[in-house]
Amino acid sequence: MATIPAQARSKQLRACLLCSIIQVPADFRKNGCPNCEEILQLKGNPERIANCTTTFFEGVISVIDPDSSWVARWQRTSKYARGMYAVRVKGRIPEDIEADLENRGIRYRQRDQTDQD
Amino acid sequence: MADYEDDRMNEYDDEEEYGQNDRDDEGSRKKKGKGRAEEDDEDQEEGNPGRYGGDDDEEEEEEEEEEEDVGPKGAKRRKHRHKRSAVSRFIDLEAEVSDEDEEEEEEDDDAGAFIDTFDDDDAAEDISRRHHAMLDSRRQFEEEDKSPEQIARDLSKRYGGRAALRYTGDLNDVPQRLLMPSVHDPSLWQVRVKAGRERDIIFSLMRKSIDMEYTAHPLSILSAFQRDSLPGMIYVEARSAKQVQQAVQGLVGVYISRGIQLVPIEEMASLLTIKKQEQTVQEGTWVRIKRGKYAGDLAQVMDVTENGEDVGLRFVPRIDLTPRDENAMDVTKKRKKAIVVPGSARPPQKLFNFEEVTKIWGRKSVHHKRGNIYIFQNDTYRDGFIEKDFKISALGLEDVNPTLDEISQFMRKQEGMEQVVDLSIIAEASKKAAIGVLQPGDHIEVFEGEQTGVHGIVEEINGDIVTITAMGTDIEGQKVDLQARSVKKRFKPGDHVKVMTGQNAGETGLVFSVTDTVVTFISDMTMQEVSVFPKDLREAAEVGSSTNTVGNYELHDLVQLDAQTVGVIFKTERDSFRVLDQNGQVRLVQPHQISMRRDSSRAIATDSEGHELRVNDSVKEVDGEARKGRVLHTHQSFFAFLHNRDITENGGVFVTRARSLVSQAPKSNTAFKAPAADLSKMNPALAQPGGGMVGSGAMGRGPRDRHIGLTVTVVKGPNKGYVGRIKDTNGNIARVELLSGNKVISIDKEKLRKMLPDGKLESLDHRAPWGAPPGGYPSSMGPPSGGRTPFGGSSKTPNPYAVGDGRTPAWNAASRTPNPYADNSGKTPAWNASSRTPNPYADSGKTPAWSASSRTPNPYAQSGSGGGGGSGWGGATPGRNQTWGGATPGRSAWGNDADTWGSWNSAPTPAAQTPGFGMGQTPADSAPTPGAMQTPAAVWGSGGGYSSAATPGVSSGYPQTPGPSSDDPAAPSLEKDWLFDSAIMPYHHRIKVEVEGTKSAHYYGGEFEGRRGRITAGTKVPAGFEQTCTVLFEIGDARSFPTRFLAPVHPTETQEEILVAGGTHKGKIMVVRERDDDLFTVSTKEMPGQVWEIRKEYLVSLYDEQL
Repeated sequence: MATIPAQARSKQLRACLLCSIIQVPADFRKNGCPNCEEILQLKGNPERIANCTTTFFEGVISVIDPDSSWVARWQRTSKYARGMYAVRVKGRIPEDIEADLENRGIRYRQRDQTDQD
Repeated sequence: MADYEDDRMNEYDDEEEYGQNDRDDEGSRKKKGKGRAEEDDEDQEEGNPGRYGGDDDEEEEEEEEEEEDVGPKGAKRRKHRHKRSAVSRFIDLEAEVSDEDEEEEEEDDDAGAFIDTFDDDDAAEDISRRHHAMLDSRRQFEEEDKSPEQIARDLSKRYGGRAALRYTGDLNDVPQRLLMPSVHDPSLWQVRVKAGRERDIIFSLMRKSIDMEYTAHPLSILSAFQRDSLPGMIYVEARSAKQVQQAVQGLVGVYISRGIQLVPIEEMASLLTIKKQEQTVQEGTWVRIKRGKYAGDLAQVMDVTENGEDVGLRFVPRIDLTPRDENAMDVTKKRKKAIVVPGSARPPQKLFNFEEVTKIWGRKSVHHKRGNIYIFQNDTYRDGFIEKDFKISALGLEDVNPTLDEISQFMRKQEGMEQVVDLSIIAEASKKAAIGVLQPGDHIEVFEGEQTGVHGIVEEINGDIVTITAMGTDIEGQKVDLQARSVKKRFKPGDHVKVMTGQNAGETGLVFSVTDTVVTFISDMTMQEVSVFPKDLREAAEVGSSTNTVGNYELHDLVQLDAQTVGVIFKTERDSFRVLDQNGQVRLVQPHQISMRRDSSRAIATDSEGHELRVNDSVKEVDGEARKGRVLHTHQSFFAFLHNRDITENGGVFVTRARSLVSQAPKSNTAFKAPAADLSKMNPALAQPGGGMVGSGAMGRGPRDRHIGLTVTVVKGPNKGYVGRIKDTNGNIARVELLSGNKVISIDKEKLRKMLPDGKLESLDHRAPWGAPPGGYPSSMGPPSGGRTPFGGSSKTPNPYAVGDGRTPAWNAASRTPNPYADNSGKTPAWNASSRTPNPYADSGKTPAWSASSRTPNPYAQSGSGGGGGSGWGGATPGRNQTWGGATPGRSAWGNDADTWGSWNSAPTPAAQTPGFGMGQTPADSAPTPGAMQTPAAVWGSGGGYSSAATPGVSSGYPQTPGPSSDDPAAPSLEKDWLFDSAIMPYHHRIKVEVEGTKSAHYYGGEFEGRRGRITAGTKVPAGFEQTCTVLFEIGDARSFPTRFLAPVHPTETQEEILVAGGTHKGKIMVVRERDDDLFTVSTKEMPGQVWEIRKEYLVSLYDEQL
């Protein structure tokens, strides 16, 4: 369960570049990313948060039941925590994280819907 | 290596005691060591590749050295380090127990082997240690990378079991198409919500679902989302509409009443995939700043951050060089900020200049960095430009349309240096924008695609496809279809072009240089070089700037700038003038800075030989440069403004003293050569042609706007509904004194309506329509010579002044005083024209506005009271009394004077009415006659002045037929754009048009001349572009054709079906019943009994409907 930002229209809202979850920076700092913390290590690291999350996103999804939601599946977030997700997130995770993913054999998909196959 | 993080965590969970020792360094180190060791084992079990164990010893020593720099160490630690440690590189992770260390080290090695990229810090580090030579650069890099890992490790240690879930890249390998929704998936439901509240509602739904989760009725929706590109809607994923309804119930801003619509399954995916037009910025592109001090300013992108959020821009700074108070420079930043409050005038754009800024803000305010870089008020200035980071959302990326001027500001500084500004970038944009500006006949070139390099002439434009006739290549003469966006206009030196848009719009000239992106031509007007983008140009035959008129002023007008200064407009720009004043100075003037136009057409000065010097005389300077020229204006009998085409400076206009001029041609009126002190000239009574010096008290007054004094109502804007009186006018701005509030406001005349005494409103320029009732009309067309003879019918008599003789006795009475009109009428053909002006008003039985002269105060009122005059008139022709008096009260004022010379003097502005009128030495003399304001004065001025008479009905028809030649002033003609009149448009497919005028214009060598056809397509294009439409010819094909060559075919037969294209019956289809020369009797099909007479010019033949 991700922290739900209190202010829907806050300019501060940031979306994770890897899983597209939306939180305020304070929550990222306090709890990290509920899905990708293990790889992004956002907790307590403002610099990292700045690099791995962005305010540049569009469309907000409230994922209430990730497991059975088609929307979550389409967005590839069905195994993730409940919470607010962005439809599109602009930007790429830093190269080192990308390489890290590659090493694990995980394909990195940008969240800006550029690769729709 | 992240693989084992999970396992490790689990272990921590088990080893509770370590968790309790969290804060204890010792403990944590132990834990670390232990944990790692175990992981290590696991890795081995998993069959990970080999290790680097053998190098351990070597590495150790190097590491020790390094360790010394790394941080503070306890004695214990030091000791331990001597024993052995790979662990020591983890500053805060050091383990006490050596065997654990060993294990840990192994683990590290292990990892290094198994992850072969540099971002596995530990392993990489090991490697780097072994390759000492590579050490420095590489290690630095790695250590940077290492920190997050390390921190994470700390954290996971500290928070034991609570660490993050393992990231698996959920579903990342599944192709998107396999995720398409199926019938088994829940449905999406569209819900209407208040625009702007979409996101809040999505968040509310989330919170609501969490709150309700463990209640008796949890929400059963699965998700909900919103897209910025779909305002006013949210989409909720649920199994049924009822669930959706239940979920959104009670949320503010949801319009349940507007229904919950199911999204078809095939559209579900697209809702999530639609995206806005991608806006990308690259280095070098141009953007506009949206907000703040620099709002609207052009900026160039220097760099873009990786995430694309921030953009480094470079632009021309606006530094306030006149801070409001002296304290500004040393107060807090906050105060400084307050200086630039919105609304206060923002400083002009100016490149940063160290000296200037330090002079005003003090030397301390600017911090000089190396080279040409300065820091001022926290902003960086390089080479005079400010460099600043902006959020991309604060920038306008579309429709930037940088002008050449703006870009040259960026270029200026860079001459001599590398050409950073690439014109091709803008040119690129401008090419794309060129689609809308192509027209048939344009010479174009293909710049992209297969046909690159082909050029030809545009034949036809059909949406995005242009058809061209290729030229100059092996496909010469062939027609080629091309994408409009891949062609650009092509010009060559020697072309005569016209600028269609932008700052120089209307300018014409001869092209002398063409580069890839810029066309440079010599302006016909100013003889200066003008550089523009090809897209803004057209080839054009016409010469001269079409923007000769701005506001109410036009080229070569003499205008009053302030009490002391007058000048002549020698160049009109888009919304400003260049004015040469009497002192020879050039000023850039906005229309509002001009207080009025001066009329010097009757002003007379004396030249060096004592001859009269008048407007349009051809003269030469006797001294100085001996310049020749034509007199445009004289001012105060002293200054003369001359014009000579051969002089390039100031558009050929120059100013000199009248006394230093001599006529180039022998003066026709040398007979009148007389000493300036000839008193007879001063005597109004003896005024004669060519004479008359008047010490006019009204000197300096321009033509008074006849709107002044009107009672008006404001019909638009914030003052709507207020009633006031026009105190003054300038151009189309009126200053209105409101009756309530005692306030004077400046307001556009458009927003004013004349208030009639009965409370009705009427447009300021309202007149009776030109087109008198059909039928009655032609009779008013009689030759003007008829004067006031019964011929025209009482109401329609042309002006009596036109003919001096044969006047009524009343007139003869007037002959007691020299009648200036009589003098004038012979001389100025315009006068004849003017004599017809009253004609429309003659019908002014209809225009109560005019006849109700009593409404307008002063002169008219007086003229009204001078009833004697009126009656004098009445004597002339019975009908006159109402018509004349009403139509142009000024006239009746004349009648008045005719009657009683004495009362004349009591007229409001007697000076004006002195015989000087005819020859007026004072430029102002014509102005103050009340009549002048109505119409005639304007007519006297010049043909051009005519339009200022503000009789719309007249001016449209009139200027084209000036002077006596316009025997038939009321001849109707269709408006220029008649084809695109909304009343006509529906009949396009039936209208019979004929090609006319192509021969003289050499359009296709007149090939199409005389062909007839109907219009199949045509839409109105914006002003400035040539109107074309597609015509289906009777012989041949359809093709697009400029409408200026299309003339209506007028009916010839009776019983022919026609369309009325002008006049009161515009847009009606009728049948010709009878014809009499140019006059047709028509009626509708349905009601043959009801007939109208309409002039031929208004009638257009039609094709049969089905054809």
